[in-house]
Amino acid sequence: MDRVRRILWSVASMLGLLVIWWVGSVAFPAVLPGVGAVVEELGVILTTPGAYGHMWYYHVWKTAEMIFVSLVVCLAVGTVVGVALGTSDWLETATSPWVYGWLAFPSLVVVFLVGVWFGFTPLAGYIGVPIVVTPFVVLNMWEGARNLDRNLEEMSGFFGASRYQTFMEVIIPQLVPFLFTSVRSALSIGWKITLLVEALLLTRGVGFMFKRSFDNYQLTAMMAWLVVFMVFLFIVEYGVIVPLHNYMTDWRPEIEGVQPTE
Amino acid sequence: MSRSQRSADATDSDDATLELRDIVKYYGKPGQGRVLVLDEIDLDVEPGSFVSLLGPSGCGKTTLMNVVAGLVEPTSGTMRRGGRDVTPDDLSSGYVFQEPRLLEWRTVAENIEFALQARDVPESEWDERIEKYLDMVGLLSDADNYPSRLSGGMKQRVAIARALAIEPEMLLMDEPFSSLDEITAGDLREELLEIWREEDMTVLFVTHDINEAVFLSDYIYMMNEVGEMFARRDVDIERPRHYDDPAVAERETELYTEFHEQVVS
Repeated sequence: MDRVRRILWSVASMLGLLVIWWVGSVAFPAVLPGVGAVVEELGVILTTPGAYGHMWYYHVWKTAEMIFVSLVVCLAVGTVVGVALGTSDWLETATSPWVYGWLAFPSLVVVFLVGVWFGFTPLAGYIGVPIVVTPFVVLNMWEGARNLDRNLEEMSGFFGASRYQTFMEVIIPQLVPFLFTSVRSALSIGWKITLLVEALLLTRGVGFMFKRSFDNYQLTAMMAWLVVFMVFLFIVEYGVIVPLHNYMTDWRPEIEGVQPTE
Repeated sequence: MSRSQRSADATDSDDATLELRDIVKYYGKPGQGRVLVLDEIDLDVEPGSFVSLLGPSGCGKTTLMNVVAGLVEPTSGTMRRGGRDVTPDDLSSGYVFQEPRLLEWRTVAENIEFALQARDVPESEWDERIEKYLDMVGLLSDADNYPSRLSGGMKQRVAIARALAIEPEMLLMDEPFSSLDEITAGDLREELLEIWREEDMTVLFVTHDINEAVFLSDYIYMMNEVGEMFARRDVDIERPRHYDDPAVAERETELYTEFHEQVVS
């Protein structure tokens, strides 16, 4: 498919969505605000300060901050733990039940617990979000470390490469696809939990604004905030993730099928 | 280091035969206790010769070569040259593995750089060496290509260039052509012999293919599946050899018969 055709299809699908929305709002006006009303509300949100005198970008920024700080934390921790698990048999045997338990732990309970432990403060979020997201990164990097090519390490050892050279030029490049998948799943889980934390514990951020609209039964405002948030996610996807992906997979003409864990 | 420099630096012992004596290797395997893979092996590698280790799969021939390479520590045994004990680090060898073992995320030239850096070759010599050895294996125009764009035979050529680029005295090769199609393998064998002659080096070659061993080698060590070296046989056929030379086929048949008696009984 050429470029023009691809863009046309994307535009068509977006228009299709708007049409469905419009039909839905005509059919069920009580529960689905119309496109026009949401656009109007969006105008209000984008131009006037909301709760506590904060503009819309303050909330988006606070949400983004929590997502990305948490992302960095869980990528670092998850990579270290995952690689340790994947390269050490006894550690794997001893602690893999912990990881599975950790994965199964309900994220809602984590949010409540950090609320109790750290109060209704951002700190609760900065601790809670990584707690929920890190095991997914661990699982990915664990898989990556298990798939490391021992033959390449033997080759590297034979030619006399230092530990540093082996790590940087042999190990890390093999983990890159897994690191990328980790970023993907950490991001997609991370923002859901961030919103949950903001809605339940905080008085700022996009999650809080959803909660507020909900409490006041402002369906139109909720839809307008949803638009803001979706635009933000699109920017992250096409502005950060896709270029990052292209950059990291530059050296390989075809991308191997790496399964994301989500 | 260039070739002339190296021979100037070389001590007398470098020109002597490498002698392995009574090499024993046990592996611990889960549930099987200790398994004997090398049973008091003696091996002589004469400088400048092409030596093959021939045996069925799993007979320990790769393990034996890895003892020479320093990748496997023998349970007991000695390695000497010119009357002195030597370690694998003293030997200056290059290794061509069964698989190319290239770094897929680096170009062909960068794969060779990897080995040069690992061996502490001064950076000023890198370009010259990369050009020389890629040219030698006929891949100079692919220097900036990634391995994933190359065929299996071309990848193995890169692996050979990488092993040559560190300018070893001895080239260790572990069934390097066994996963290639026969036509590609045949071409590569002839090229290997040409390089071996030009570069005046020693080759230790592991194979399970009697025909390959006869075509390539000056002499052949034969191993059975219980880790014993049961014979050393010379191949006195004039070079350059041809695949369809009756003398090659004849020697192959002789060794095959001997092998069959030894391994089956």
